[in-house]
Amino acid sequence: MFIAVRDSGKRYKIYLPKESSPVINGNEMDIDFVEQEDFHYAFDWKGKRFQCELVARDQNKAVIKVNGVEYKFSLESIFSYVRRGMISGGADKEQDNNIKAPMPGKIVDLFLSEGDLVNAGEPVLALEAMKMQNEITADCNGVIRKIRVAKGQSVMKDELLIEIQSIDV
Amino acid sequence: MKRKLLIANRGEIAIRIIRAAHKLGLITIVFQSDREPDALYLQFADEVIQAGDANDEKPIFLNPEKIVQLALDHQADLLHPGYGFLSENPDFAALCISKGLNFIGPSPELIRDMGLKTVAKNMAVEAGLPLVPGSNGPVGNAQAARDYADSIGYPVILKASAGGGGRGMRIVEKPETLERHFKSAYDEALAAFGNGDIFVERYLQNPKHLEFQILGDKHGNVIHLGERECSLQRKHQKIVEEAPSASVSAALRDEMGALAVKFAQKIGYFSAGTIEYIMDEDGSYYFMEMNTRIQVEHPVTEMITGVDLVEWQIKVALGEILTLSQTDVKIQGWAIECRVNTEDPQNRFSPQTGFIDTIHFPQDPTIRIETGVVSGSVVTPYFDSMIAKIIVYGSSREDAIARTLNALNHFSLIGLKTTVPFCKAVLQHPDFVNATYTTRWVDQVYTPEMLENDDDELIGALAATIMYASEYLQLQGDIPAYENDALNVWVLNKRLNY
Repeated sequence: MFIAVRDSGKRYKIYLPKESSPVINGNEMDIDFVEQEDFHYAFDWKGKRFQCELVARDQNKAVIKVNGVEYKFSLESIFSYVRRGMISGGADKEQDNNIKAPMPGKIVDLFLSEGDLVNAGEPVLALEAMKMQNEITADCNGVIRKIRVAKGQSVMKDELLIEIQSIDV
Repeated sequence: MKRKLLIANRGEIAIRIIRAAHKLGLITIVFQSDREPDALYLQFADEVIQAGDANDEKPIFLNPEKIVQLALDHQADLLHPGYGFLSENPDFAALCISKGLNFIGPSPELIRDMGLKTVAKNMAVEAGLPLVPGSNGPVGNAQAARDYADSIGYPVILKASAGGGGRGMRIVEKPETLERHFKSAYDEALAAFGNGDIFVERYLQNPKHLEFQILGDKHGNVIHLGERECSLQRKHQKIVEEAPSASVSAALRDEMGALAVKFAQKIGYFSAGTIEYIMDEDGSYYFMEMNTRIQVEHPVTEMITGVDLVEWQIKVALGEILTLSQTDVKIQGWAIECRVNTEDPQNRFSPQTGFIDTIHFPQDPTIRIETGVVSGSVVTPYFDSMIAKIIVYGSSREDAIARTLNALNHFSLIGLKTTVPFCKAVLQHPDFVNATYTTRWVDQVYTPEMLENDDDELIGALAATIMYASEYLQLQGDIPAYENDALNVWVLNKRLNY
């Protein structure tokens, strides 16, 4: 038995028996497993095809793309889930939320300086890529700790642009 | 001797133009850019010219002198610019003509006039077309823009005089941000078009974008082929288009179409063109601009009129008389186009680049697919993110929506994210179903959560669990306690895969 918890908090209890279809939240589901490659599964259910791809994986967290839309889950066996429940309440919250380049491009403008306070959703810089200027926004509230790039600089995809120390809890 | 047509473009539109050219018995030539040497369109042309643009600052499609030189070297007679790139560059059109190449499009003078929005608007006013209140001319600097904006009230829109495709365009909601937006619009316009002129206009809160397809010949004949509604846009670029529009009655179509034709005739327009209107919530409409190229969304018009617009572009360029009269144009049924862009609709439509592992398109007589890619194609960062278009025909709007949704459900792409889930969400939304959507829909209504649904989420949870369980069991495999736990997914996988 496994538990898949969506980033929204929605929980799926999933049991994969040897001899029958998967049981999800207590119901046996009539889902056919039709294809498997390394990071790609396809299922048939309700007369429809569902294409799944593993997009990212970090320990017990997985991002799965289903029919082109990403869903984030954290996964645990029922044993570790219960165990974690018992020891929960722990800290480990104060983190850095670094802004990386979502695509290759050129920094055309920086709107903030090191030490500035930034709100979630506030534009921090403009990145020109694919003929467009894109405003890159902070995804948390915090303080700009370090700006790693300069105006006019070209950046690669996933290159670290700005370090933000998050003050969110 | 057979005439040779050079296509100075790439992707799906190159293939589209080749199809029309072959219908007319022309030999087709395309460029192979070093930035995209394995592109699909290369397989469809009769001749391929090595552009040798690896070390050029710009790809071949943006290099007028090199295009014309190579065209002459390969004895091309005609040149089709497609859309984007140099398609609305008057200097390029003039250069082609001066070297004896038959440029497919209107005259360079008209491309220039229509490209300068203030000039185009003055010409439109003279032809009796209504305009949105605005500066009707470039404002010199940010302060002048602010003064003007203060006088007409916010929000206002800043537009590059030479702009297009959303570049050099900014909406300003409040006075404090005007200077920053002015500067970035100016920079973007200057970089993209070499002209930083900006003008200010009242910004309609909830407008619809309607456009009329025009077709004219070199003998003074002009007709219109009805309207398209392209209100569904993100970042000022269209993403779902339909024809006709539910907001245009037959009487209004005649009225707006007649104005468009009158305008085109007055300025001596020939080839395919588009008159763009913006419609306010009260139904009043204003002339926005004229596009002097074939447009991305031209297939929806072709689907409901049965007229091959690209074929006519070529025939007009060859001097043929437009044999279609206005009464020959009959609008039948409904067509919807969904653009397949490699963009992430869950993350502000940021572009995605990389390999297309597999791509599968729906097939049906009512579905038209225009694609520039196949399984195994690479999406590079050098070009536009639109890789394909799915165009679906139905007998009515309701029928077209249902068929389009079904078509999108049978589309799949493994490897990159696309706008298809977004298009699905749009087609199911009441605002689209009721045809009340406006150009502000994405900003005001859309949330990435609309892309999600419970079935996909459940399957995602299952897939994630199978992947995790496989590894988990591999790790725990030696421990007898787990073996009896009846969760051996290896067995499950084997059973399912035979």
